[in-house]
Amino acid sequence: MKNSLKNVAVSGVITSNPTLKLVLGTCPTLALTTLAMNGIGMGLAVTFVLIFSNLLVSLLRKVIPNQVRIPAFVLIIATFVTAVRILLDKFLPVIYESLGLYLPLIVVNCIILARAESFASKNSPLWAMADGLFMGIGFTLALTAMGAVRELLGSGAIFGVKLWDNFSIAFFSSSAGAFFTYGVFIALFSLLSSFIEKKQKDKQMQKLLDSTSTSEVKQ
Amino acid sequence: MAENKLYFYSSSPHVKSKTSTRFIMGNVCIALLPTLIAGTIFFGWMALLFVAISVASAILSELVYLLICKKTFKYFMDNFDFTSIVTGLLVGLSLGVNYPLYAGAFGSAFAIIVVKMLFGGTGKNIVNPAVAGRIFVFISFQSIVGKWIVPGGELITGATTLTNLFQNGFSGNLLDLFLGVGLEGCIGETCKLALILGAIYLAILKIIDIRLPLIYVAVTGLFQTCLMGFDFNLFLPSILSGGLILGAFFMATDYVTTPNTKIGNYVYFVALGLVTAGLRVATGMEVVSFAILLMNLFVPLIDKFIRPRPFGFKKTSKGGGK
Repeated sequence: MKNSLKNVAVSGVITSNPTLKLVLGTCPTLALTTLAMNGIGMGLAVTFVLIFSNLLVSLLRKVIPNQVRIPAFVLIIATFVTAVRILLDKFLPVIYESLGLYLPLIVVNCIILARAESFASKNSPLWAMADGLFMGIGFTLALTAMGAVRELLGSGAIFGVKLWDNFSIAFFSSSAGAFFTYGVFIALFSLLSSFIEKKQKDKQMQKLLDSTSTSEVKQ
Repeated sequence: MAENKLYFYSSSPHVKSKTSTRFIMGNVCIALLPTLIAGTIFFGWMALLFVAISVASAILSELVYLLICKKTFKYFMDNFDFTSIVTGLLVGLSLGVNYPLYAGAFGSAFAIIVVKMLFGGTGKNIVNPAVAGRIFVFISFQSIVGKWIVPGGELITGATTLTNLFQNGFSGNLLDLFLGVGLEGCIGETCKLALILGAIYLAILKIIDIRLPLIYVAVTGLFQTCLMGFDFNLFLPSILSGGLILGAFFMATDYVTTPNTKIGNYVYFVALGLVTAGLRVATGMEVVSFAILLMNLFVPLIDKFIRPRPFGFKKTSKGGGK
């Protein structure tokens, strides 16, 4: 498949969105989306780790023997996760507190391992970085949107700003609500992406038809 | 079509009962009427309004879901089988009258859309929609849960008759407990007389097997008295307080969420009684709806291990056979 920036971007954010299409990284998705701010924090942390681990994996892809590639990837990822933890602890202690246990768990986050395995280890460093960036953006967007919906319904606030009092459906703050919201999001997203794919196909068909008709005219 | 022919081919079953889902569910509605009347008498017109809104919300949710699924209004009317009315009634009756009116509407909508329709409609749900709807309201609007209204208007916090039972023992009139006079609680759970009248009506029409809910109630009462130090004076109060009677006769007996076999049903209702009594004593709260929800999830497992014996089947010594 030919790489182009548009392809990488579309696949990262829409057609293979890590959270809503590949259903990867479910654990932080379910646990951390009680607040929209958590989604942004977690998303940015993962994006950072994803970009740099993809870069390093891609740079070392000819050096790492195939048999020990997974431990090597984990080692690379762990390096960046440790860096993120130390930086967040120092500069953004609030976010560090609210992400809690899930921050070190980024090491075994399957999005990062999956991208290292399926993309970064087969592509040049620049493309790997771009892939990491857009996958991270897709993850961040999905988590923030889910967090916003759950925060709005579960506690009547959005990004910590209280919108109304006396009405909240606590179901959406609980873990059952997390699964429910996740399911609804996946369903809606599939609807959206199938709509987009259909439109693209129609466009291609139209192009094909146009080109055949023009060639006929030339003849 | 086939009426004018002398003979026609069809596969079994050849003898069909006249009872339909519509007939059964219509009669369940009728059986719930005394309870609704009793609730209205005890808690005032607000109770009736609350239940009416729950029912309206249930029907409307089903209609909206079908319209979203590109079905027509005519399809909805042709296939309307009163199950959503029963669900709405049960959700409304199992909530307190002090709840905001939207709570019942949300509960019914959740029960119909998420629990019933998303799983494929009537007969496909894995848990009882009404129970799930009630629990949805319970965990969603926590600020108002735990407060009950006594007929007459006074709002009390915390100790209901059942919670009192665990802490101080029973002090009160058994007859009042049975009739629901001056008793706090959900709209439909206080008057046991009305509930039992409805249950007898259903039993006479053979819509429910009266033995099964009776087993549930008896096991719950006995196990609870055993857990509370073999004080058999507590037997009647423990089965008459809380939502046990409502849950046993109208919620746990739902066809869809009970096992298919007779033995399976006995296992199910005995286990339900043990779970209810155990959780009641462990938490000191009313847990009937949670226990039913929990045991609903075990129904497929019970059906997997307890299978009906086909006609003419003999047990062979070598592990069954076909």
